[in-house]
Amino acid sequence: MQISRRSFLQYCTFASASLGLGPSELIKLGQALAASKAPSVLWIQGAGCSGCTTSFLNYTSLMPPVDAADVLISLNLQYHPTLSGGAGRTVVETINAAENFILIIEGSIPTAFDGHTCIPWSDKGQDVSFFQAAQTLAARANQVIAIGTCAAYGGICAMGSNPTQAKGVGSALGIKPINIAGCPPHPDWIVGTLLPLFMGETVSLDNNGRPLFIYGQRVCDQCPYHRRGEARSYGVNGLCMEALNCQGRSTNAPCPTLQWNNGVNWCIAAGSPCLGCTEPTFPSSGSARRGGRGGQGRGFGRQGA
Amino acid sequence: MPKTIVIDPVTRLEGHLRAEVTVDAVNGENQVVDAKVSGTLFRGIEQMLIGRDPWEAAQLTQRICGVCPVPHGVVAAMALEKAAGSIIPDNARILRNLIMGANFIQSHILHFYHLALLDFIKGPPMSPWQPQWETEYRINDADSARLNKRYIEAIKAFRQVNEMTAIFSGRQPHAPALAPGGFTTVPTNDKIDLFRRYSQTVIDFVKNTYLPDVEFVATQYPEYNQIGKGYGNLIAFGAFDLNGAGGKSFFHGGRIVQGNGQVQPMNNDAINEHVASSWYENSTSKSHPVTSATQPVYPKDGAYSWIKAPRYENQAYETGPLARMTINGLYKQGVSVHDRHKARALETLKLAEALPVWLDELNVGSPVYSSYTAPTEAAGFALAEAPRGALGHWIGIAGGKIAHYQVLTPTCWNASPQDDDRQPGPMEKALLGAPVQDTDNPIEVLRVIHSFDPCLGCAVHVCRITRR
Repeated sequence: MQISRRSFLQYCTFASASLGLGPSELIKLGQALAASKAPSVLWIQGAGCSGCTTSFLNYTSLMPPVDAADVLISLNLQYHPTLSGGAGRTVVETINAAENFILIIEGSIPTAFDGHTCIPWSDKGQDVSFFQAAQTLAARANQVIAIGTCAAYGGICAMGSNPTQAKGVGSALGIKPINIAGCPPHPDWIVGTLLPLFMGETVSLDNNGRPLFIYGQRVCDQCPYHRRGEARSYGVNGLCMEALNCQGRSTNAPCPTLQWNNGVNWCIAAGSPCLGCTEPTFPSSGSARRGGRGGQGRGFGRQGA
Repeated sequence: MPKTIVIDPVTRLEGHLRAEVTVDAVNGENQVVDAKVSGTLFRGIEQMLIGRDPWEAAQLTQRICGVCPVPHGVVAAMALEKAAGSIIPDNARILRNLIMGANFIQSHILHFYHLALLDFIKGPPMSPWQPQWETEYRINDADSARLNKRYIEAIKAFRQVNEMTAIFSGRQPHAPALAPGGFTTVPTNDKIDLFRRYSQTVIDFVKNTYLPDVEFVATQYPEYNQIGKGYGNLIAFGAFDLNGAGGKSFFHGGRIVQGNGQVQPMNNDAINEHVASSWYENSTSKSHPVTSATQPVYPKDGAYSWIKAPRYENQAYETGPLARMTINGLYKQGVSVHDRHKARALETLKLAEALPVWLDELNVGSPVYSSYTAPTEAAGFALAEAPRGALGHWIGIAGGKIAHYQVLTPTCWNASPQDDDRQPGPMEKALLGAPVQDTDNPIEVLRVIHSFDPCLGCAVHVCRITRR
């Protein structure tokens, strides 16, 4: 079970093509992970559904680390609310004592009611709002990663009337985190972003704070169903979904080539329009979408025909 | 001397939960004599749905829970279909059953190995599993090492179940293939074969690993066959429509009162939501989800949670796999911490073995979708089951937009606070009488709470504003 830093390195050999890492970088990564100074990771959850954690646990690869268990063992993940063995003051002490760490934030940050709609823990009898926790820990972290569209941009938790005034990490804290957008994000995006960070590399980001090597292309431009004839109703697979208000034209993500859940399927292959879940506008009501031909102001789930 | 202990956060669950228990000596043994369970996350998803296109409910409500999105999507679609009076093709019904059954299985595997098991064994010797509480873990080193290995294997099984689900659902979590009117993925022989191969792997894991491990833990901690009983009131709505007419379900609904084996009928009109202990306007108390309003009030005397307290005929009921299995005559051992784990594991096997049977009923070439038009003015509701218990969605549509949306989740029942008659919620009641050996490390409290598999993301009403 104790694989890890070495097998993590082996994985990097496999991943190097997509991440653009050469042999010298890989050696550096191995050294970084083996060094006692390697950063630990704190994963905290705000207003969300734990779907990003579920997606992370779906991680799989042909090369080690072969799954999320391997990654967990590699990362020195000091705290994760869904996985930590301890509870109560034990985990709060761990969080308070953490140094030299990468902070992963899952879920949005509610700001109404002085943050009291989301209390992830209390400390010495005092409620700690997620807003406070994120502020304090982000200030101490080497790097902040916003995982999922709620953390990146507010997402589902900030839609419509947004009664809790939930915000993304960047907007709530006034910082520029790395945004691994998606509702949920693909597990490869999560693991693939962590790798270069452990090497101390800078990850190039797009205007929405997303790693360019993941979110550099529009769904539509990679989609095998583009120009394959348009589906006019659900229940037909293998056709372009644009007439059903597919958001692929205005959504950046590698879903068509990467696919989901070990490559068994993905939204458009399942005869379902792209929801645009990696975009800051998600879940838009359609009218605010950029350039959607079939949308005409309709909600994303609306049948066009 | 009574001593009050606060556990905040209660980890290894979905969302945020705080537990406050008072421990005192009863007949020479330290026991929980008072318990208050508070959810600490409020998102207001129901309110945010108002004004949106009804179509979106089947996708947006899945985001209530990243562990059990499928039942939310299915129930939302059913409520929309009921509002429109539309019927879905048989293939769609079967495909929904397949992905929902699979979603139960992944949730149950995650629950036992990753959320509950570390209450009973010493986990892997590194973060995030350490530091654990310093307490007596009765299982010896060799067996703990074996179960730690199973913990890792269960991550693989969890992933594989999600892959199996995604063959039809399109992606997990948050299944794009659920739409009002039916289903979007067209079943092919290749997809059916792939699903079947996965299902055999899953059956093997559940039969040869999960069930024996649950039994083994139960033998090591036999007192938990008595601890955590609670009211013994069980409720289920029923789920997995088997014939399209709604007349025959894989699990039928019903109630059991105070552990009495007689199954009583379940009529959703008898459900109401109490708010005496919740931060809501008292005048809204005891209303049914079809009309209930969510009017926050803070501060409010006597309130300590923003979970409302759903009650049936003003009585508290526990819901979940144990309720389903007992009401359906498939589990007859009792109500306790281990009974919840055992019934959950047995249900997992029953569902895993049902999947290949349902798969055979798919008709390749027949439709999966029938045209759906959302009504302009209508109301609808649907009741079914999620992994953690009874689930209901109520929708009202006006002017072609969502005008009313209420979700009643399993954790609202189980983790509810005291009601208007000051009866504790089912989880609070189950904590009463639990022995606590070490008030600094009250592991017994975690064991009782985790046996319910609480999901605070699902308990959408939930919120707690800081105490004064």
